[in-house]
Amino acid sequence: MKKSAVIVFLAIFLLGATAVFQYSKFYDGRLHLIFCDVGQGDAIFIRTPRGKNILIDAGPGDNVLSCLSNHTPFWERKISLAILTHPHNDHFAGFNQVLKRYEVSVFGMEKLENKTQGYKRLVQDINNNNIKINYLFAEDSFKTEDGLKIYIMAPNESFLAKTSPNNIIGETKEFSSLITKISYGSFHVILTGDSQVEELKEAVDSHNLSSVDVLQVPHHGSKTGLNSKILEVIKPKIAVISVGADNRYGHPTFYILNLLKDLSIKTYRTDLEGDVEIVSDRNSWLIQ
Amino acid sequence: MKLITISIILFTFLFLRFFFFYQNPSHPKDGGYISFRTTLLSEPQVIGNYQRIYTTLDQKTKIFVFTSIYPEYHYGDVLIISGNLKYKVLSNGSHISSMNFPKIEAVKSSENYILAFISFIRQKIVLVYERSLPAKSASLLLGIVFGIKEAMPKEFSDNLKMTGVTHVIAASGMNVTLVGGFLSSILVFFVRRQIALFLSVIGILFYAVLSGLEPSIVRAAVMGIMAFSAQILGRQRIASYGLFVAGYSMLFILPSLLSDVGFQLSFISTLGLLYIRPLFERTDRAIKLLKSSIIGDETVTTISAQISTLPILLVNFGTYSLWSILTNVLVLWTIPILMILGGVGAILGIIIEPVGKLFLYLCLPLLIYFEIVINTFANYGGILKIENISWPIILGYYFILFSLVSVFKKK
Repeated sequence: MKKSAVIVFLAIFLLGATAVFQYSKFYDGRLHLIFCDVGQGDAIFIRTPRGKNILIDAGPGDNVLSCLSNHTPFWERKISLAILTHPHNDHFAGFNQVLKRYEVSVFGMEKLENKTQGYKRLVQDINNNNIKINYLFAEDSFKTEDGLKIYIMAPNESFLAKTSPNNIIGETKEFSSLITKISYGSFHVILTGDSQVEELKEAVDSHNLSSVDVLQVPHHGSKTGLNSKILEVIKPKIAVISVGADNRYGHPTFYILNLLKDLSIKTYRTDLEGDVEIVSDRNSWLIQ
Repeated sequence: MKLITISIILFTFLFLRFFFFYQNPSHPKDGGYISFRTTLLSEPQVIGNYQRIYTTLDQKTKIFVFTSIYPEYHYGDVLIISGNLKYKVLSNGSHISSMNFPKIEAVKSSENYILAFISFIRQKIVLVYERSLPAKSASLLLGIVFGIKEAMPKEFSDNLKMTGVTHVIAASGMNVTLVGGFLSSILVFFVRRQIALFLSVIGILFYAVLSGLEPSIVRAAVMGIMAFSAQILGRQRIASYGLFVAGYSMLFILPSLLSDVGFQLSFISTLGLLYIRPLFERTDRAIKLLKSSIIGDETVTTISAQISTLPILLVNFGTYSLWSILTNVLVLWTIPILMILGGVGAILGIIIEPVGKLFLYLCLPLLIYFEIVINTFANYGGILKIENISWPIILGYYFILFSLVSVFKKK
């Protein structure tokens, strides 16, 4: 009995120590932006300075769960905002796992449908959990109390209607994907999902972009996502590619890697580096 | 004399059973069309875009069935699977059968109420764990407490293998002993001793089905139930008889288990614990030393189990981690604590989730410690690789071991 009492007290003590340690680690008053290593797919986790959790895409499977638990304290199971850039499996399938374990307040997505079982199941899960759905279009935005701004740059309604008639997205071709700009103080990030040159060009042309720090290379580094003209306009300080090792599509392509190299843009890849984490305090930022 | 006669009779029966079982080797043909009905006794694994279902055909042939991610299938589901079978012989001589995207028809699983109920409990427990703990820690605790492995990230299960501690995520003798011991020690406060022991036996059975009826858990459950029954009947428990009865009856029912690595490991390591471990406790001084040192118990347990299973590990996995004794010593002491906290957390979590969560939180520091030990040693390497080990060497090893044990035992 004496021994088990010691063990119980020790367990309680260690739990307290873990809690204190994690609190000081995850409530550091800075913005954390993590490109999760989820294999071939996208999942970007944002933890705001005051500890709000935002997830943009969830990758193809359950890898996103490790990313979430590695970057949040163990007692937190709330995601204030989840965004799906477009309904393709390598971006939404992980949400199925996330919704089982986390409480999501708002779900933002394109007004698009996909005929697959997996997507139907996702919509069903969102409805069963009574999560509010926000259909997002260009110029929509979210702001958090601690100063983070999420702004949808594209697509607008007419682009969506043109590229995905009847609001249906095919399984293989990607035409439109939410392009978002994340801003915190003077720190700016552009997230592109699987957007293609046409849409990205429209988004870049219709906005006054200056001092972009981080650009997510569209569509896992596919050659149809980016060209030198767009890159010269955005002029990001660094680029990040969400891509799986040895994927069957040959992503990222040499074309894109060379494009980035020619403009001396330092590039980080989730297949080589695992999770890519960027931390900002409003004025400055660094790769962690 | 009597013992020898009985043994000869028993082994003759077993031999006949094997003879008839393997008389018509019905290896399914490659590309042949089959249709069969099966009850899932392990949870399908979700890998990327598809589910991998593990099942058996006629209790002989293991089959991996690959199917799309929806509809989801679960432990306990009864399925009728029809399609073409692919049959492959792997380089190490073992064979593997698979079916790619066959037609699957789910029969109502509720026809077996007990299994449906256990399946429901199982899913609920997995959910409670995963809602309370970080992904990796939840999967580790599920493995330790229930032998449930499907949720474990591949990288981490590879690390467990590399450091020689995979056995902790297989439900086995230790789990059964703890479940039985825990239940009976609580129940004796409420009911008569005999009834408490009887209920504990039911608890062990329930636990065995819950954890997926793997060979190690069946072996342990049979042994555990024998030990408890012996107590109910007022007889002394005789562990080694229990082991043989368990092994014998399992092989009699399912001869193909003989080639099952899990069965071999579980049987032989228990033998090691029964016969090699006592050699460390031959003098009073040794016993005192083991009792007073913090990790002495774990050390001799690990060494006994490893000595007895070394050839099997080498034959089947071709590798042996030089760190495994050290890693085992470092983590094994946490297992009973994690089992009790995790078990109580699961039971309470099913009823009142927040209370269960609290117990699971208490496991977290130990789980983090466990993960750090495993991941650290997995990075150090220290893997002994042996490409080929021939049967005479294995037989020789066991003959030497057998003679050494009997000599030292007599002294």
